[in-house]
Amino acid sequence: MQMSLVTDSPVHSSSSDDFAAFLDASLDSGSSEETEDSDQLETQRVKRRKVDKMENIEELQDPTSLPPSLEQTAEASMKKDVCTHPGSFGEMCILCGQRLDADSGVTFGYIHKGLRLENDEIVRLRNTDMKNLLRHKKLYLVLDLDHTLLNSTQLIHMSPQEEYLKSQTDSLQDVSKGSLFMLSFMHMMTKLRPFVRAFLKEASELFEMYIYTMGDRAYALEMAKLLDPQREYFSSRVISRDDGTHRHQKGLDVVLGQESAVLILDDTENAWTKHKDNLILMERYHFFASSCHQFGFNCKSLSELKNDESETDGALVTILKVLKRVHGMFFDELEGNLVDRDVRQVLKTIRKEVLKGCKLVFSRVFPTGFQADNHLLWKMAEGLGATCLKELDPSVTHVVSTDAGTEKSRWAVKHKKFLVHPQWIEAANYLWQKQPEENFIVNQTKNP
Amino acid sequence: MFFHIVLERNMQLHPRHFGRNLRENLVSKLMKDVEGTCSGRHGFVVAITGIENVGKGLIRDGTGFVTFPVKYQCVVFRPFKGEILEAVVTMVNKMGFFAEAGPVQIFVSNHLIPDDMEFQSGDMPNYTTSDGSVKIQKDSEVRLKIIGTRVDATEIFCIGTIKDDFLGVINDPAAA
Ligand SMILES: [Mg+2]
Ligand SMILES: [Zn+2]
Repeated sequence: MQMSLVTDSPVHSSSSDDFAAFLDASLDSGSSEETEDSDQLETQRVKRRKVDKMENIEELQDPTSLPPSLEQTAEASMKKDVCTHPGSFGEMCILCGQRLDADSGVTFGYIHKGLRLENDEIVRLRNTDMKNLLRHKKLYLVLDLDHTLLNSTQLIHMSPQEEYLKSQTDSLQDVSKGSLFMLSFMHMMTKLRPFVRAFLKEASELFEMYIYTMGDRAYALEMAKLLDPQREYFSSRVISRDDGTHRHQKGLDVVLGQESAVLILDDTENAWTKHKDNLILMERYHFFASSCHQFGFNCKSLSELKNDESETDGALVTILKVLKRVHGMFFDELEGNLVDRDVRQVLKTIRKEVLKGCKLVFSRVFPTGFQADNHLLWKMAEGLGATCLKELDPSVTHVVSTDAGTEKSRWAVKHKKFLVHPQWIEAANYLWQKQPEENFIVNQTKNP
Repeated sequence: MFFHIVLERNMQLHPRHFGRNLRENLVSKLMKDVEGTCSGRHGFVVAITGIENVGKGLIRDGTGFVTFPVKYQCVVFRPFKGEILEAVVTMVNKMGFFAEAGPVQIFVSNHLIPDDMEFQSGDMPNYTTSDGSVKIQKDSEVRLKIIGTRVDATEIFCIGTIKDDFLGVINDPAAA
């Protein structure tokens, strides 16, 4: 800071003791953290009492001197008396300014440091915001970062076959056109998923978007800068693990949107145990070798193969279509009041169309003794609209197995039914479309 | 409100700073240590304007550091309940808006924004009157009233309101 030393002050000058006493007297009690000697305290107390007295007089005079027409003032002071303290900023009530407990309510640090809101206030905000949003024909969309919109790796975890990437990174000056970034200050490299820029642009027309990552705050903000350099999509709606209310869990409690209007894109289903019905599960984007290894794949990564997901036919292209379909159905096809509509119901309906009409029988897919209708694949298939049966009958359309030699598999071949690998169901689940059966043929196992 | 006051501080100085420039070293260290900090009692130290007096140094055993009591004049800033402040809006959202006046972070909840101003979302979120004549958005300058303050070691938080006469936007960046 530049400044010059002046001996003569043009402003009001006083000794610091007087000043401190004046300050303390004019402040609410309990704001001074410093220890003082008892003499000083005594004088302060006197002064404080004086101030209190004056305030009391004012308050006493208030009702009498107040003309009845000045309802507003009366209303304001009444409000003050019954303040519900809907939230706090810097540990003060956002409505009456009173000092409050530090840990009451839900913290909204991602919006601004020191901001907390009580449940009733969150509900109120959600309600008013929802109306506003619906008027603009928008819903909420919560987006995960890692493996959903991008893939990051630590530089030290890069394999020798990935070294070539270091000479192909895009400029950090204008990130809006790049997709591969070296963030040396974070010892990281980040690859954006193909189509992500077009995806965000189009989705922002239909949704108010949030980022919600299990990464820390610094990482989340850095990624937001890469994805949204103009800050036109997310504004301050970037939530990191530092902002959540539960460890290892993501929750919609810190999202200021009605749950009936929120869609979530994430590759990790377990992060959203309470909001599975809002979730669109993403096929994981593994670009870097470290990412493949982390999930136990021992194959070559896209980066090592100098390959990438398709820009025109990749996961984000598919999901954007689904999002548009959900949005369209929510606003244009459903009947009744907008506020009563539920995006979770819409998602369920659309999902159920995927394998509609398929009747499946599983053969040696589940471990012996496992209750079949409890299995993930069984539930997935039913969620996609298929009917799952335990025994064969002529109406069966597909036999699902990893082994072409089982009795049921052979039955399928004999009766010209489809015999498909379980991945056929998973693929339909990720792609929101029934996949050609011939791409999921089942091989004869060598050792039965 | 700004105040010009005298404060005292014990400055520890490393022996390498002794010599002809001792006083300058002491002053520059003081400025570095104090300017831009907050104390719960005095508020935000904007600038040191002069040195009243440097007391006798006390040599610390073992380290060779010397402690000098320094009395200095400085300009401090601290907001008060009921004070009217002009501030620049830094962020607008559905909860209200945040504004800054120097080191002071102010939040004005949408409860304390006049009822005829409604929140508009979008890439430039704002509060606007129904006739569109008044708009609060990022970088707007507003006049507000402080209804609560809290000063901690590095920051000053305030709760503000613009739900009163003569409060609100004083300059509109969009109109400029
Ligand atoms: Mg993820
Ligand atoms: Zn309150």
